[in-house]
Amino acid sequence: MKFMIIRKADAETEAFAMPTQQLIDDMTTYNEDLVKAGIMKGGDGLMPTSRAARLSFSAGKPTVVDGPFAEAKELIAGYTLIEVPSLADAIEVARKWPASDAHGNVQLEIRQIVTAEDLGFNDEQIARVEKLRQQEQQQQ
Amino acid sequence: MRFMIIVKATPDSEAGVMPPSEAIAAMGRFNEELIGSGILLTAEGLQASSKGAKIKFEGGKSTVVDGPFAEAKELIAGFWLIQVKSRDEALAWARKAPMQDGAELELRQVFDASDFATDSVSEEHLEKEKAWREANQKPLSH
Repeated sequence: MKFMIIRKADAETEAFAMPTQQLIDDMTTYNEDLVKAGIMKGGDGLMPTSRAARLSFSAGKPTVVDGPFAEAKELIAGYTLIEVPSLADAIEVARKWPASDAHGNVQLEIRQIVTAEDLGFNDEQIARVEKLRQQEQQQQ
Repeated sequence: MRFMIIVKATPDSEAGVMPPSEAIAAMGRFNEELIGSGILLTAEGLQASSKGAKIKFEGGKSTVVDGPFAEAKELIAGFWLIQVKSRDEALAWARKAPMQDGAELELRQVFDASDFATDSVSEEHLEKEKAWREANQKPLSH
């Protein structure tokens, strides 16, 4: 099962505060441990919403509003993708998140990733998705 | 430049309501267009928060709260990660997404290791990060 560990935004990430040397060290070690365990599938940090935009769709037409956006708790600051056997395993991984992030007060959210089967894809559609994933694997 | 196009959650996505088959087909065509343009790094959909959890850290101690979480507007339902030349290009792609009425997308620029002050990131860290991304984060292609 694939999971996304979402690192919620806070006042400091929205203010573009740079990470401390300690946090960079701790986060790099954490990521290295995930790679060594063979469960790391991806991850990124996001710039604050002062550089962002939102698009609201009505009847298929988008309306664009530039950031920043006010509510930090509605925003995300980064994510890590992992593949583990269960939600309980994903929670164990997230519990080891570096304590130096957000001065030990970080908020994470874990979400399960949807598969093609969950979306009711037919056999032909699943075969196309599997082919794409294989091409992705070959590129690695 | 890398951008994340975030699909915000809705009451339907939180209720686990699957999109109609024509919406899934339209999304498949949009994804193929992104792949054909060589800009799609990855894309995923998220299951409802009822299958998720929150982990709050206070003073380094963690507390786990199981989903579901009430505020759909604070949640996300999926994302695309794309590599483009400018924010305008990213925005143009986001505008073309085949979204249902009331859908909301959020476009966010992604950090590169080079965005951090050079004196705060060691060469070793930069090299490791670069090697991992080169091995794992490349545009998909047909």
